[in-house]
Amino acid sequence: MLMKSTLAALVTAAAFMMAPYALAGETVGPGGEKATPTSAITLTDAEVSKLKAGKFTAALLWHTSSDFVNAVTAGAKAEFARLGIDVVAQTDAGFDSAKQKSDVETILAKKPSAILALPLDPVTSAEAFKPAVASGVKIVLLSNKPKDFVQGKDYVAIVTDDLFQMGKHAADALAAAIGKKGKVAYIFHDAAYYVTNQRDKAFKSTIETDYPDIKIVAEQGIADPARAEDIGNAILLKNPDLDGIYVTWAEPAEGVLAALRSAKNTKTKVVTLDLSEPVGLDMVKGGNVAGIAADQAYELGRAMATTAGYGLLGKAAPAFIVAPVLTVTKENVAKGWQDSLHRDAPKSVLDAAK
Amino acid sequence: MIAAIRQIPPSQYVIHIGFLLIFAVFAVVLRNDGFLSTANLFNIVQQTAPITVMAVGMVFVMTAGEIDLSIGSIVAVSALFAAIVLRDLPWFAGVAAGLGVGAAIGALNGALVAYGRLPSFLVTLATMGVFAGVSRRMTGLQSVPIENDTYNALFGSGSVLAIPSLILWTIAAVAIGYFIFRETRWGAHIHATGDNARAARATGIRVLRVRFAVMVLSGTLAGLAGLLYAGRLHGARYTLGEADLLTVIAAVIVGGTRLNGGAGSILGALIGSLLMGVLNNGLILAGFQPSDQMIARGLIILIAVAMTLREPNR
Repeated sequence: MLMKSTLAALVTAAAFMMAPYALAGETVGPGGEKATPTSAITLTDAEVSKLKAGKFTAALLWHTSSDFVNAVTAGAKAEFARLGIDVVAQTDAGFDSAKQKSDVETILAKKPSAILALPLDPVTSAEAFKPAVASGVKIVLLSNKPKDFVQGKDYVAIVTDDLFQMGKHAADALAAAIGKKGKVAYIFHDAAYYVTNQRDKAFKSTIETDYPDIKIVAEQGIADPARAEDIGNAILLKNPDLDGIYVTWAEPAEGVLAALRSAKNTKTKVVTLDLSEPVGLDMVKGGNVAGIAADQAYELGRAMATTAGYGLLGKAAPAFIVAPVLTVTKENVAKGWQDSLHRDAPKSVLDAAK
Repeated sequence: MIAAIRQIPPSQYVIHIGFLLIFAVFAVVLRNDGFLSTANLFNIVQQTAPITVMAVGMVFVMTAGEIDLSIGSIVAVSALFAAIVLRDLPWFAGVAAGLGVGAAIGALNGALVAYGRLPSFLVTLATMGVFAGVSRRMTGLQSVPIENDTYNALFGSGSVLAIPSLILWTIAAVAIGYFIFRETRWGAHIHATGDNARAARATGIRVLRVRFAVMVLSGTLAGLAGLLYAGRLHGARYTLGEADLLTVIAAVIVGGTRLNGGAGSILGALIGSLLMGVLNNGLILAGFQPSDQMIARGLIILIAVAMTLREPNR
């Protein structure tokens, strides 16, 4: 579920990016900008008091409602509260570009000082956000950039999660779990989705370049996560001696776990991306799951709000800001949930981890 | 005066009162949030323009006793087709392409419904899926920008004498729709067909032709809605219109058009559409969370429908 939502959050929005920003090895901005970590985005006490005195307001223009959006919103709201900035409106465009344009127009009637937004796609969002730019609102973008928008003039900065690092973290976790050698299967998302494609590719390239003794013996695309169990069964049938499996995100990973269970396979290790209760539970119970790579969505939201503060103060912000990635394992599961989503892990997971 | 009002069935005017009531509540509650600013009121009409245009078509379809579930998919296909044509050809070619595709899909629906003798609910449910897939295929999920300034001004961001073009399109669609629906023989035939097809046929009305024509009209107006979206966004994308079907149906029903045919109201559909726009707008300005916006919108529509559709003999 969680998995799906994080994915949906980023995927649809980023799927149609014209200027991909993850090149071999590291995540770079849409214009090739170097990534700045969110930890570098801070305000001095003097700057915070200045913002507090400014009586500023902010609006959050999201593309959908999901676990990921909730965590980003929570991070942003907490930071806005610290800065004395009132959040006056929040919208959900339901992945509809026309609704997003309407949302921008509607929000502007409230004259917010800053907007945090995920533009749905570069083409139609350019027109949608034009009135906001024209009215001088400070805009901080999540992941996507509207076509022809200029950083520092039309928007303050882009904040995103680190797609390359998510794939790499998954690869490192799997390698550690199987002793850096053996045979693994690679189950990737078979669709033109920017977010999943970048993460999958990062896993594969990390294994191929950093772990010469690990061989990818099976590669299988998955278009419908509901069919993951069938795919898992087929892979296990052909490769009964697998040491590890990478699954593109948690929902299909649940299906692969079902296949492993019905094959009574307790040896093959599984890694996947994004937190989910069933996958987390398998991991803490000592099942097949060795680790889960997750993004720090709450921190991402915090950094967006701080970056809005940069814009309101006229302080130069880095163009492209990236939220950190963490690997959640049995040992750090409680902290992992907190760091990623800023909330407690599901009770079942915490109980099993005791 | 009161006696005269009593002559009108409640379903014809309750929505107008309800609309004024909701508008008044927002006007008071949101008086400091810019709700009543001219820019915001213009926004509401502009944002609902495609919905209103489709609602006019839906009034014809539903009054004839049919339904068209494919309008949302037609919007995306016609917007994308127009955007592709506009890459190389002048604005009128893009317009012809968008309207032509809408009319053609409407004709396909109409032929299957009228001459294939299939229920419109199932026919358009099927074509809705088919053309949702087609719109995804057309450009491999890519958005298509429109850089033709004449087109963008005519269908989106332009204005005439300070009145935005989308508002003019709304007025045109409602006025022409109203005239045809109320003042022409064809309008009467639609009412008769939806009220009692057998009786209509007995009086010499070509019922099949009426059914075919309303589906073509609905498809064409969905095509126009696609052109309006594309003009507004200066580009087209496969998701356009996808979420609009239920909004259009709600606007039409709340506006006093009967679900089972025979009676409808173009002005009611306009009010219904504006009501949807006012709700979207007002609930955002009121600072509700998106989830609460959905709940509030649903409840208000339910109340409006309950007031409009409560028929004494049901």
